[in-house]
Amino acid sequence: MTLLRDIAYVRSGDKGDVVSVGVIAKHPEDYSALLRSLTAPAVKDLFGDWITGAVEIYPMDNIDAVVVIMRGALGGGATRTLRLDQTGKAMGNGLLRLPVIKE
Amino acid sequence: MKKQLRLGSGSGFWGDALDPAVELLEQGSLDYLSMDYLAELTMALLQRQRLKDPSLGYVPDLTTHMRELLPLARKAGTTIICNGGGANPRAGAEKVRDLARDLGLTGTKIAVVEGDDMLPRLDELLVAGHDLTNMDTGEQDLAALRNRIVSANVYTDSSGIVSALEQGADVVIAGRVSDNALYVGPVMHEFGWTYSDTYTDRIAAAITVGHIVECAAATTGGMSSRFSDMPNMGRVGFPIVEFDSNGSATVTKLPGTGGRVDEFTVKEHLVYEIGDPSRYLMPDGIADFCKVKIDDQGNDRVRLTNMAGAARPELLKMVVGYEDGWIGEGMMFFPWPYALDRAEKARQTLGERFERLGLKASAIHFDLVGVNMLHGPASPMPDYDPSEIGLRVAVHTESKAEAEKIRRACAQLWIMGPGGTSFGTPMKPRPVYGVWSTLIPRSYISQTVEILEA
Repeated sequence: MTLLRDIAYVRSGDKGDVVSVGVIAKHPEDYSALLRSLTAPAVKDLFGDWITGAVEIYPMDNIDAVVVIMRGALGGGATRTLRLDQTGKAMGNGLLRLPVIKE
Repeated sequence: MKKQLRLGSGSGFWGDALDPAVELLEQGSLDYLSMDYLAELTMALLQRQRLKDPSLGYVPDLTTHMRELLPLARKAGTTIICNGGGANPRAGAEKVRDLARDLGLTGTKIAVVEGDDMLPRLDELLVAGHDLTNMDTGEQDLAALRNRIVSANVYTDSSGIVSALEQGADVVIAGRVSDNALYVGPVMHEFGWTYSDTYTDRIAAAITVGHIVECAAATTGGMSSRFSDMPNMGRVGFPIVEFDSNGSATVTKLPGTGGRVDEFTVKEHLVYEIGDPSRYLMPDGIADFCKVKIDDQGNDRVRLTNMAGAARPELLKMVVGYEDGWIGEGMMFFPWPYALDRAEKARQTLGERFERLGLKASAIHFDLVGVNMLHGPASPMPDYDPSEIGLRVAVHTESKAEAEKIRRACAQLWIMGPGGTSFGTPMKPRPVYGVWSTLIPRSYISQTVEILEA
């Protein structure tokens, strides 16, 4: 099974209790697969109770990338969270576990 | 008027390396070196220091950094712009002025930019009945936290920096200006831009470029998904921007330094810690990251064109920091064989100890280190017997004494726990600061600038 790991680069960080992840296609021809695979339900389902708010998906056609916003996803925000990854830096890589949805 | 400016990114956070900034001043032929030191949490920590001692509250790195950087900057004719003033820009600037005198750099003009600190006016804001809803949680009653509030700072625009540069500053020391204004300020000053419609897209370009380089090594290979391919990251070069007066730019770095600037190092940081990419809100304007064209020209040069945006917002972000109890933490590691079983039993045992010690906690969180600490519910359980597994526990309490119980309970497992367990050094409880982000009208903010001459 092809995973997002195989077709995308990623960088993530925090703003308050929001985790923001940029997922970038390694090759332009994989951008449409990124869009198909990174849906709000798929992201919520992956992280389960680590996401208490909404998930929003923003395509960036100009750079073949998708910004994924996960609200209420940092256990109260960097300063209050009980997690070791206080700023959600590792959660972006977690997204790369999602399978690539074929056409 | 100059057609092109050279700006360097000298620091991405409080604690960043100094040697790349030194190299930039020695070899970069820079007009400006911008240095960011602040994060959301930092202001609360610095304000606490200031409350204990009115001569503190600036970023401690400020003086050690300036001792190295000032002589080089003066020699190169480079102006340094930083937010290292933190919660006390005036005290920081006075220290830097004294330092400049010690270094024989008399005549150096150090600008203090103030006006972001809303703590003295917080009650006025509360009484005025402004909507100070928490942007993250929707909570509304900030007044209920009043006696726990330690800081209130507004992310201000670059007008204070522009004014400082107009007055001939060699070093600008600001507090909680937006990180981004450290780059937008010099560009607006040098090119004579104002907030009128004529310049909206060009200011948006400066915002975009500032965002791309403000975390220093994060644009030159640091944090990259391709980190294993990045050359000599231990002597990474920080980014340089060549900013054109028409609102286009090139991101590059010094030849011979480690790391890389290419299409992906720039893309990776364009998407970093943003919300809706078509509306990146900064106090100086709103940038649309969905328009920029990124052109990798090779040799560590990436060209940015077609940047655009919208006029600056009327509301500014204010971050209120408040005391929010304590976190107690513990960690221990279990060896093969059956490491996972030992971790599970240790977790159960800790739960019993917390009960026996009468722990009062508002939240208890366990991680299996090596299994699910970083990805939580997204992590699969191992289908083999791992060489080692850790157990981490973190607990939120109201008092330090309660948080101490975590350290005690974990230490008690030294003998009460599974055989072969390794504990390392016990962790001390740490105070927690909550962050309440809200919006206030721009009209509340007036930045002031004063020049201190060495």
